[in-house]
Amino acid sequence: MSDPDDRRRSRGLWRDNGLTLGFGCGFLLVLAGQALAGHAAFNEQLTVDGLQRIGLGAYLTSSDFAVDVTENWQSEFLQFTLYILGTVWLVQRGSPESKEVHKIGKETDREQRVGAHARKDSPRWAGTRDWRQKLYSRSLGLVMGLLFLLSWFAQSVCGTAAHNEQRLRQLQEPVGWGSYLASADFWNRTLQNWQSELLAVAAMVILSVYLRQRGSPESKPVGAPHASTGVEG
Amino acid sequence: MTGTRILFALCLAVIVGGLGYFLVIGATYR
Repeated sequence: MSDPDDRRRSRGLWRDNGLTLGFGCGFLLVLAGQALAGHAAFNEQLTVDGLQRIGLGAYLTSSDFAVDVTENWQSEFLQFTLYILGTVWLVQRGSPESKEVHKIGKETDREQRVGAHARKDSPRWAGTRDWRQKLYSRSLGLVMGLLFLLSWFAQSVCGTAAHNEQRLRQLQEPVGWGSYLASADFWNRTLQNWQSELLAVAAMVILSVYLRQRGSPESKPVGAPHASTGVEG
Repeated sequence: MTGTRILFALCLAVIVGGLGYFLVIGATYR
């Protein structure tokens, strides 16, 4: 029989990290699905163009697959970057996604528990008074922002290769990275993702003023009044 | 919290590793 303490610890690990593990596994499954569907669609296009079909391995190492993945990644990281930074200065009265209306801005050191107001259990860099506190105070937005820029750059590089592959198929001159950045293809891929992210955030913020999801921290408690802001369920 | 720390590192590694992979693909014109 296994040690009951071990069993408790093991169950705790899965339960304590269920949100990350659930969404992480979902990501891998859906990425695999995208790879299969993308491979089939790519081969259909090759057949239409009278070219030879390619294997799954070749598709997974192709710039066509890469640009399709990275264009979606960049928009998701942009969404969270804007959300993290935007919610410092913008509020929505009545939304649990917003902080309370009177808290607009970076808030006081006391409210943020930094410097002299750090507690025993605060992260170490929160208790410092130099560049480490400044850096740590911005670390979430900075990392999300960096991941957005890196993904967008990867989209532009992979998009250049994929776009040129198509141009060469049609016996057209390939374009350089700089020219691709000014191309309709790059901005069409970019903006079609951005618009959906911005719509989803705006909808989430305003819908959560009047609608509820019992038990979700993204919602206010079911019985909370419509006017209460920054309350988690 | 050890498991959580590992997940944190794994998440960043998957994202940065994935982006590195895609950048190599794009940069080598595959």
